[in-house]
Amino acid sequence: MKNFREVAAEKKSLKRDYVAIMMWFMGRAIQAAAAVDRAVKKEFVELPDGFTFALSVMPSGPHMIVGKDQMRFVRYRGWDPEGKRIDLKMKIKNIEAAMLIFTFQESTTLATARDRLIVDGEVAHACAVVRILDIVEVYLLPKIIAKLAVKRYPAWSFRRKYLGRVLTYVRTIFGF
Amino acid sequence: MRLLMLLPEHYEFFCPVKINSGNRALEQIPFELDALNARKPLVIARKDASERGLVDVIMDAFKDSGIAIGIFDGVPAAPDLKLVRELFNIYRDRGYDAVIAVGGGSVADTAKVLNIAVSGKPEDIEGCAGEDQIKNPLKPLIIVPTLSGTGYEMSRYAFFDGRSYASHFLMPHLAVIDPRMTIQEDAVTTAATALAALAHAVEAYTGSGKNPLADAYAYTAIQLIMEHLVNVIRDQRDRNGRLSLANAHAMAGCAFSNVAPGVAHKLGKVMGDECHLPPGLCMGMLLPHILEKQMSEGGYYISDLLLPLAGFDAYASMAENLRARRAVDTLYDLLKDLSVASGGAIPRTLKDARVSQDILQDIAQRAVGNGASFDMDGCMKVLRNAWEVR
Repeated sequence: MKNFREVAAEKKSLKRDYVAIMMWFMGRAIQAAAAVDRAVKKEFVELPDGFTFALSVMPSGPHMIVGKDQMRFVRYRGWDPEGKRIDLKMKIKNIEAAMLIFTFQESTTLATARDRLIVDGEVAHACAVVRILDIVEVYLLPKIIAKLAVKRYPAWSFRRKYLGRVLTYVRTIFGF
Repeated sequence: MRLLMLLPEHYEFFCPVKINSGNRALEQIPFELDALNARKPLVIARKDASERGLVDVIMDAFKDSGIAIGIFDGVPAAPDLKLVRELFNIYRDRGYDAVIAVGGGSVADTAKVLNIAVSGKPEDIEGCAGEDQIKNPLKPLIIVPTLSGTGYEMSRYAFFDGRSYASHFLMPHLAVIDPRMTIQEDAVTTAATALAALAHAVEAYTGSGKNPLADAYAYTAIQLIMEHLVNVIRDQRDRNGRLSLANAHAMAGCAFSNVAPGVAHKLGKVMGDECHLPPGLCMGMLLPHILEKQMSEGGYYISDLLLPLAGFDAYASMAENLRARRAVDTLYDLLKDLSVASGGAIPRTLKDARVSQDILQDIAQRAVGNGASFDMDGCMKVLRNAWEVR
């Protein structure tokens, strides 16, 4: 039939790669911040033992999996959810929505309010994860960008902000 | 104190349409299709939508979704049953399970009628014409309106190849309003579609079928159109204005679906057919004159219209007995502003639109025959007033 064609969906490889790298770094930064920052530590303490969450982009990734191990240490558990027990799944509806979040045009809170992601699991746990993400973003990003990425930019002491930032970066880069 | 909202003794309201509006809204379609249990959509559009890059935007939105889409971008201005049968064969043979219409008017009507066929059999198209002849829910239908739509696309109506259809099952499951799809039409088309939506919303707000839920849609639609229409005509780059208008069209369509069509709609449609003018323009030019006539007959809710038409300050500063007059004058002012903003391209009166006075009688006769709630004299009075320069 004239004027008809069928089109297979292409990939947005560049955007997927960018989001995958950001998720990898963010996952390691959460692990680092849990060892450095009291507030993050406290949030994880209040989550159930063995709790694992995944932040994913629909329909097929990338993914970021973070959880507490048997010793109650927070660990980044990689990008492959296959075979892992996930208690909380936070799914970003598409790669463009993920780009808005990971280019800090929309905070996680705002993206949630705008229905850009869905939560499969306990809402209370999801709120805790969003608070953790906010704190980690404050450590990772300069104030001018972090203000866009978090709900409220916190008034931290010099020591917490800058020493915490250095330690978080060092631990993120070296993975401990 | 007079109550602003009197709850009707009885009313019904039905709006199953999910609206997904805003930045990157199109990229949500694969997720929404999944929720509708659909995996392979057929996109239909007019050729000019393709030429203006709108189909490319849709294709881009499906990237990374893993979903293959069929695209037919040859819907003509006056589609016929032959086209629907051809589309039906494509849909069935290639295993599509949803329809996405890009644009309003003929594309949306084609999509609705195609959906009747693919949800049953092609012969159903003839049998389902008329009021409430569709008995079962149809397959997933998504409409992506552009500014060339009037909000009809959101309604329970379809007009196709000389037949008219009315059923709640015709309403789309989802309307996706994305600023990338609201690229500027010419000033006359933009004004015509917005004025059609305004007329539908005003008639829903003041008509006998008025109810609190239709009011909510109509009120917001009127407010958005009044706040943005002239600016969009003046400045075509007003992205927020265009998005607001597209939202207003959708809301007016929902309100319109839940009340009986008013005089402006019926007269405007007949006049559009007779004079080869956009029906929305006709509705817009007739609307203030119709309200004026209703006002003289005690139209109760016209004074309340001033609030969405002119805003809180104008409403609060006007004595109650003067509000209806001011509301009608605000609509006259709107026509004047549109005419000025478009450099005279948008007519203010039927005379400006080159409607012959000789044809007014026929228009009134046909509108009365189509069930317009004014009698012959009433219709003629409105038409004569709308013809002359005010």
